[in-house]
Amino acid sequence: MFRSRSWFGGGWGRPKNPHSLEHLKYLYNVLSRNQTVSEHNRGLLVETLRSIAEILIWGDQNDSSVFDFFLEKNMLSFFLKIMRQRSGGSSFVCVQLLQTLNILFENIRNETSLYYLLSNNHVNSIIVHKFDFSDEEVMAYYISFLKTLSLKLNAHTIHFFYNEHTNDFPLYTEAIKFFNHPESMVRIAVRTLTLNVYKVEDASMLAFIRDRTAAPYFSNIVWFIGKHIMELDACVRNDADHQSHNRLSDLVAEHLDHLHYLNDILCLNITDLNHVLTDHLLHKLLIPLYICSLAASTSAAQTTRRRTTDAVAKMLAQHSATPDGSPKMETGNGKVSCVVALFLLSQVFLIISHSPLVQTLAWIVLKTDRSIFEKGVDKLLQYYENDVKRRESSTTEDSATPNTDIDSKSSTESISELRSNVTDEEKQRLATETPSTGEHPFLDAVYGALDCAENDYVALFALSLFYAMANNKGVTADVIEQVLRPKKTFTPKTPSQKDVKYTYNVHLVDKLLNIAACSCQPSCRVRLVTLELALKLFVQLVTCDGKNILLDGHAALIDAAKTQSTALLRNFYKSEEIFLDMFEHEYCDMSKGSLNVEWLCMDSAILLPPTGTPMTGIDFTKRLPCGEVERAKRAIRVFFLVRNAVLTLNGELETQLPLTNPQSCVQIDQALDLNNSDLIACTVTWKDGTKMRRFLVIDVLQLILVEPDTKRLGWGVAKLVGFLQDIEVTGDKDDSRCLHITIHRPISGATANRVPLLNAKFVFDDNIRCMAAKQRLSKGRLKARQKKMQHIARLLDIPGQSGPPSPAFVGSGLYASRNPGRGLRETRPLFCPNKVPGFAAPRRESSPGIIHRADPAKHARDGVSPNRLANLKKEERDKSRSRDSSSSRAKSREGSPRMPRPRSEEIPLELIKKASNSCLDMAPKISIVPRPQTPKIEVASTSGGPTTSSQSQAETAKELAVSEETSFIADELRGASKKKGLIETI
Amino acid sequence: MSYAYLFKYIIIGDTGVGKSCLLLQFTDKRFQPVHDLTIGVEFGARMITIDSKQIKLQIWDTAGQEAFRSITRSYYRGAAGALLVYDITRRETFNHLTTWLDDARQHSNSNMVIMLIGNKSDLESRREVKKEEGEAFAREHGLVFMETSAKTAANVEEAFINTAKEIYEKIQEGVFDINNEANGIKIGPQHSPTNPSLPGAGGSGGSQGSGCC
Repeated sequence: MFRSRSWFGGGWGRPKNPHSLEHLKYLYNVLSRNQTVSEHNRGLLVETLRSIAEILIWGDQNDSSVFDFFLEKNMLSFFLKIMRQRSGGSSFVCVQLLQTLNILFENIRNETSLYYLLSNNHVNSIIVHKFDFSDEEVMAYYISFLKTLSLKLNAHTIHFFYNEHTNDFPLYTEAIKFFNHPESMVRIAVRTLTLNVYKVEDASMLAFIRDRTAAPYFSNIVWFIGKHIMELDACVRNDADHQSHNRLSDLVAEHLDHLHYLNDILCLNITDLNHVLTDHLLHKLLIPLYICSLAASTSAAQTTRRRTTDAVAKMLAQHSATPDGSPKMETGNGKVSCVVALFLLSQVFLIISHSPLVQTLAWIVLKTDRSIFEKGVDKLLQYYENDVKRRESSTTEDSATPNTDIDSKSSTESISELRSNVTDEEKQRLATETPSTGEHPFLDAVYGALDCAENDYVALFALSLFYAMANNKGVTADVIEQVLRPKKTFTPKTPSQKDVKYTYNVHLVDKLLNIAACSCQPSCRVRLVTLELALKLFVQLVTCDGKNILLDGHAALIDAAKTQSTALLRNFYKSEEIFLDMFEHEYCDMSKGSLNVEWLCMDSAILLPPTGTPMTGIDFTKRLPCGEVERAKRAIRVFFLVRNAVLTLNGELETQLPLTNPQSCVQIDQALDLNNSDLIACTVTWKDGTKMRRFLVIDVLQLILVEPDTKRLGWGVAKLVGFLQDIEVTGDKDDSRCLHITIHRPISGATANRVPLLNAKFVFDDNIRCMAAKQRLSKGRLKARQKKMQHIARLLDIPGQSGPPSPAFVGSGLYASRNPGRGLRETRPLFCPNKVPGFAAPRRESSPGIIHRADPAKHARDGVSPNRLANLKKEERDKSRSRDSSSSRAKSREGSPRMPRPRSEEIPLELIKKASNSCLDMAPKISIVPRPQTPKIEVASTSGGPTTSSQSQAETAKELAVSEETSFIADELRGASKKKGLIETI
Repeated sequence: MSYAYLFKYIIIGDTGVGKSCLLLQFTDKRFQPVHDLTIGVEFGARMITIDSKQIKLQIWDTAGQEAFRSITRSYYRGAAGALLVYDITRRETFNHLTTWLDDARQHSNSNMVIMLIGNKSDLESRREVKKEEGEAFAREHGLVFMETSAKTAANVEEAFINTAKEIYEKIQEGVFDINNEANGIKIGPQHSPTNPSLPGAGGSGGSQGSGCC
């Protein structure tokens, strides 16, 4: 505004050096000559104040005499004089003045200087000065000034701000007046300041806060939160059509801000403050508004409601007697809807972990029975307190049965018991549930919300609440045990052995499994997120001591859900390319991490009734599917979720997914033994014109561009690796030696936009090589995809795909089945080529001239990436002996290792493969020297199938031998250490 | 002082990377330290001109408040732009960028414009983070990148103004809901929300502000 330097132009004897004592003296003169602010001098004053800030900081860091002069002349008093004037343009000067003070307090390093600045009480006078707060700019600078000061608070400086004798603390009391300022940054600054104040451990100051300000300030907060959630509730009620999503999301975010703020205060662990705050929250907000809204809809609560309201009113009357006449909470006006109440309570349990608060809340929700409830709200707390006392006394009196009185209270809880003997792990069903009756109004309301008959709108919140409660660190085990956590009791049977009895909440598990079963129906109204959360909670509920304590009936139900989810997905299994990509994408997306419930409850979108349309901008998992593609997507997810839950319950690891095992893939900069591999020389031209000479190697799953290894002849270093399934190849109309190849990045789920890994022109030596490359690439792509589709088919138990379940997934699970295979080697029958759809043999008919690609044995090896090579030997031998179709090639390999142009119709570039130095029939075509990692061989065998005996594997293997998927079974243990590093080209 | 829009910025990054110095340098150009003077401030406002509209920038430094989750959360949410600052002479400040960015993305509204700033570009001899690394990080995470020096004022104007330009473009595209003040954007007092294309009051020409505070 007043940057013009001409103010300094008139030679008032201004010293040349702006950083000197002389300059400050000059500025002092300017100030003393311009004590009245006017239109004419305000620019000069602003410039002067600005300079003062600069020179003082310079002085603080370089020359103490500068600061002495400032204090000696009492220059802060000039500041006060200036700001007290109400003349035209004074707000401009005020802004600069506040900024100068900000700079001063922010940058001063010398503690003594700081103390001097604070010592004469001018700062407090500035704090209490009534600025023109309607000016947005003044407000912002003022609140920043207060915030800056609060950052300087410590055990020493606090005494400059808090005056024990006058019981005065303007910094704090002035700031909290702006607690509810419409400007969000101002509100944040106030909160920051209060937290900075509480953080200072000064007993008398904290006593002042508690006695003089806590009641009004906290009840203000509580009142505003209450008012706020009434708005939120109205917004939800009136917006079935998702019209005011922005407003709703603001309201939710604001509520979260409040809760986080309260939590930050509680986390400072100031006993007195926490007590007052907890008290306010429980009495005025959480119990009357949040919890009581849960049961408000039940008919039995009608009468209670009036009583509750009365009780609240009475309570409020008592509280309004507190100093400063705190505003009254309007809970009497009504309740919020059950949806909102569940949502808000979930947030409370997710964010706040202050034990006295959450413990009380959890107890009231879970344990309150009808009789207490009907006595009114204020009795709830009383009963809780009595219960605590009783428990304390009972534990001291009778430590042998610590939980008896809780048990008696919750005896109406549905309980099923499982007794397992520690010594022999035998499980026995002992008791069955008693049906839950309406004895616990709040808990029953939450149970009731889990009903997904119509949709899962409320169920999602009920699940979040249960989950949040069960995982809150402030809630002790005895409150949630049996309801939300499995319960373990020891009953001594004989002196030598003890019975361990596991029980869990059968009623709740019933409900959860019902949600799971619902989700697996084709046209259900359960969203993915609800299913995921239900399964998450379910696993928690029935897992104790690292194993599941599931009753047989429930185990059957979850298995049925798994079967059902598989059947559901089978409907969508199709040979369309997009299915494979979707499948992999969804898996990738899901494996990025399981559901974060806290983040879920930050999303206001779930507060509105579930919808299907993506046009709302709601996440896919948080809405219903729209259209066939999304239904397929959903079915894939349901399949993964249920599968994962079952695996977790059984303590198993996933061995069949992902479809590609990264361990088995060639990595960039890996050195590969390419002796006897098919190499196609080419020049790769990138879009930017750079050219590189490379050799193209086509592996089973991957396309590899190598450059010769300078260290070893015949070896190459991988410079670019892409998955065959992700390539696009087009010829060049003008140049028959050219191919345009695009390799997309593998699906990662992370980025929405898959920038191609490579998009370049490949120039080959002649058109034959070019044609060969093209055919092999497109075949390779097709095969890689077929391979994966077959794997999915096996996962889905689709009959006719590959018969018995095969371990031939493209991943690490192979290790397990591989080992016993050695013994089978000699007895293994020959291939049975045309069994698998998409298998190479039929292709050959349609596209002659690519015999080298139509090799069933290799096809089968596709799935065996980590150890393909080792398997090869046997296959090649079999093939050469018994298969006419491949005999010529096999012979040529064995007979003429270096023959550049094989005869017959084979593509010339299908180079001869023969083991030159190997004692085996057929040597690896490429050996990868695994540089960074050591080969992972036997580790996987446990994860692969711990329960499979070698015999059953042998049987499986025999079966498999019928199909051509088997080659890898005939594995050689002695080659094991090499296997990892070996690959073979197609 | 009337304006067409007010944009709220926050400055984030490790301590000591020069956040408050950048802020002061931008809002108050006179503090060009000739001597070895480190001086900063936590809040500042300045008017700039974009597309011949007066736009006020309010910049809030979040330093010293990281301990309180509620505070950082709210700051992020209330801002339309964020300057994510690291110190090119201290590798660890660069390494922490991901954490800052994750935090920002989690708490802010999705439209918030984030500008990556490598500060202290005047200390070339002590450089630990190459400019290319900053560029690569920015590209990978979809940020705008710039190296600045709060000391020599190099690129400081550009950093703040380019961020404002991007926010302004988003408003023109209708991405930002300008009627929702929670997004960190406010419409000036005389400017009706229904007619955001109303010419700015000042119109002092030039795409950059004529330097007022």
